[in-house]
Amino acid sequence: MKILVANNCVPFVRGGAEHLADALTQKLIEFGHEAMLVRIPFRWEPPTKILDSMLACRLMRLQNVDRVIAFKFPAYYLPHDNKFLWLVHQFRQVYDLWGTPYQGMEETTENLSVRRSIIEADNTYLREARRIYTNSATTSDRLRRFNQIPSEVLYPPLLETSHFRFGEPGGYIFCAGRITTSKRQHLLVEAMRHVRTEVRLVVAGKSEAEGDAQQIEQLIRKFNLSSRVTVIDRFISEEEKATFFADSLGAAYIPFDEDSYGYVTMEAFYSGKAVITTSDSGGILQIVRHSETGYVAEPTAQSLAEAMDRLYEDRAAARTWGRAGYDLIQNMGLTWEHVIATLTAE
Amino acid sequence: MASTVVPFLCGGYTVIVDSLADQLARAGHEVEVLKFPFSSHHDELLEQMTALRLLDLTEHGDRLITIRFPSYLLRHPKKVVWFIHHHRGAYDLWGTRYQDIPLTPEGIRIRDSIINADRLGLSECHRIFSNSKVVAKRLKQYNSIDAEVLYPPLPQAANYHCAGYGDTVLYLNRLVHHKRQWLAIEAMRHVRTDVKLLIVGKADPDATAYVDELHALVHRHKLKDRVTIFDDWIDENRKCTLFAECLAAAYFPVEEDSYGYPSLEAHQSGKAVLTTADSGGTLELIIDGRNGLIASPEPIAIAAALDELYTNRARTQAMGEAGVARMRELGISWDHVLDRMLS
Repeated sequence: MKILVANNCVPFVRGGAEHLADALTQKLIEFGHEAMLVRIPFRWEPPTKILDSMLACRLMRLQNVDRVIAFKFPAYYLPHDNKFLWLVHQFRQVYDLWGTPYQGMEETTENLSVRRSIIEADNTYLREARRIYTNSATTSDRLRRFNQIPSEVLYPPLLETSHFRFGEPGGYIFCAGRITTSKRQHLLVEAMRHVRTEVRLVVAGKSEAEGDAQQIEQLIRKFNLSSRVTVIDRFISEEEKATFFADSLGAAYIPFDEDSYGYVTMEAFYSGKAVITTSDSGGILQIVRHSETGYVAEPTAQSLAEAMDRLYEDRAAARTWGRAGYDLIQNMGLTWEHVIATLTAE
Repeated sequence: MASTVVPFLCGGYTVIVDSLADQLARAGHEVEVLKFPFSSHHDELLEQMTALRLLDLTEHGDRLITIRFPSYLLRHPKKVVWFIHHHRGAYDLWGTRYQDIPLTPEGIRIRDSIINADRLGLSECHRIFSNSKVVAKRLKQYNSIDAEVLYPPLPQAANYHCAGYGDTVLYLNRLVHHKRQWLAIEAMRHVRTDVKLLIVGKADPDATAYVDELHALVHRHKLKDRVTIFDDWIDENRKCTLFAECLAAAYFPVEEDSYGYPSLEAHQSGKAVLTTADSGGTLELIIDGRNGLIASPEPIAIAAALDELYTNRARTQAMGEAGVARMRELGISWDHVLDRMLS
């Protein structure tokens, strides 16, 4: 089959959805299909520009394509009569983020009309798709709640898993991923002030903006935690990452209301490690279950400190929960075979 | 960088897009390549042109390099175009049997819109390059625009080498009627030496009848001992070996815009190129008797040239070895392309 994978993009910026689109394209080819990735540049400032991007998508014509698999707003507006969606997210600013500090647009008459147009277009054009899959229960819930459109969850697998390996629980909690305010690495550092045990913390990942890592470093100095907290502010290789996971006591991943369960969580489970998360972390809670596959703390420094101490003092639990996490993702069908079969079905 | 593409069909322009991106990245630049699916059907042109105009790249990247029609409609304060060809049905092919837009009031409006949009998009460009003199001439003639000729170099020149001069002339290209592989087979009926012809290439999706015709031609004229057709895609290694071992290369397209990558591949392998006097772009590269031969597009004339290549081997080799110097003379190198693209 000739499959066009459609995503939008901000030139020179890459995140989870971009990696997923790349991975799907590559895997489709490995499974014997012809696949091509199209990335539609998307701009949301000023908000009226959003309408231009939406219209541009509607005006594109796809020739010599048997199926479209689209990920994001507004790329899913591309017209095609054999379109599947693997929805990563809609334009959240006008849905669940509306009325929160992340709304991102002022409530002017013009912007309210932009918001209405987006919702109406979603209500109209999302239904063109022959099938709608989403990347998480959170995304499906929103789609049902805001647009009354049903969908099925199709969990994105990790691109490559063979390098992750089990290791005996070590002495540190490992926090992988981009260092940025919304992932709240700073809260983990603050938690380290309150721990009673000798547990240590390793934070590794490239900082998103210049100030992000500096803020963390300042906290470490301020609270005199440099012997207990290590920050590696750079891109780490997959092999390095696998080693950090293998030798860790457990992992921590506490983003605010993430849509999906997070690659980091899966990487931890592939390494047989329990995951500490917080009760407001959104999609992460789908696979991190308290006292089963990890520890669900309150989003406070004290509660996170208790979580870290718990893993440190009860290594048997740390080991058991981590292995249970591994079993869980195996049983959930989080494999590319399953994804490709689903997305290329008639 | 941005270009329109026909999904799942590779062409010379896709090689240009990918290899330029690769060279820019190697030179240490951050490169993002956006490929927009584009249908060339006249009924769908205007809305797709509007779509490109609506996308806003103005705040991304220090420079936007656009390649295929009409990607130069994208907006950017520092926009460069490497112009490959017009939508020819609206220009030089208008009024010929290749005109793909109907001669109706609506068709005329579509043509005028294309011409107006080209004027707008191109006039916004900081630099305008074309891939050949033929295309630069059309830009001058139809759009009154001066373009600088910037010849596309080979993506991977270092892969090619020379491993001697065999008995076989290699015709490597897409199998499609206007590339005139059939003319090469016709010529083989008239050769007097033991020169052999090897035709290699993948058929265009709608050209299977043409491939059957080529096989039938070989059969009918009992040429199968001397003409071989391999009608499939070959990998890069196999291709390099074929060029390394051949006597010379042949390329007889009708009025092609550019010299074609196989001509450069031949030169990079130390091989002369035999082409025809009506082949267009190859004539910008090949000088008769210096780095190849130019025959008149008739079987008997081509047969004589093939015999000449086979018989006068010292000359054939000397012409082959002159190829790289000729490429240098025309500025066919990535250093030159990057230098101009970023100027």
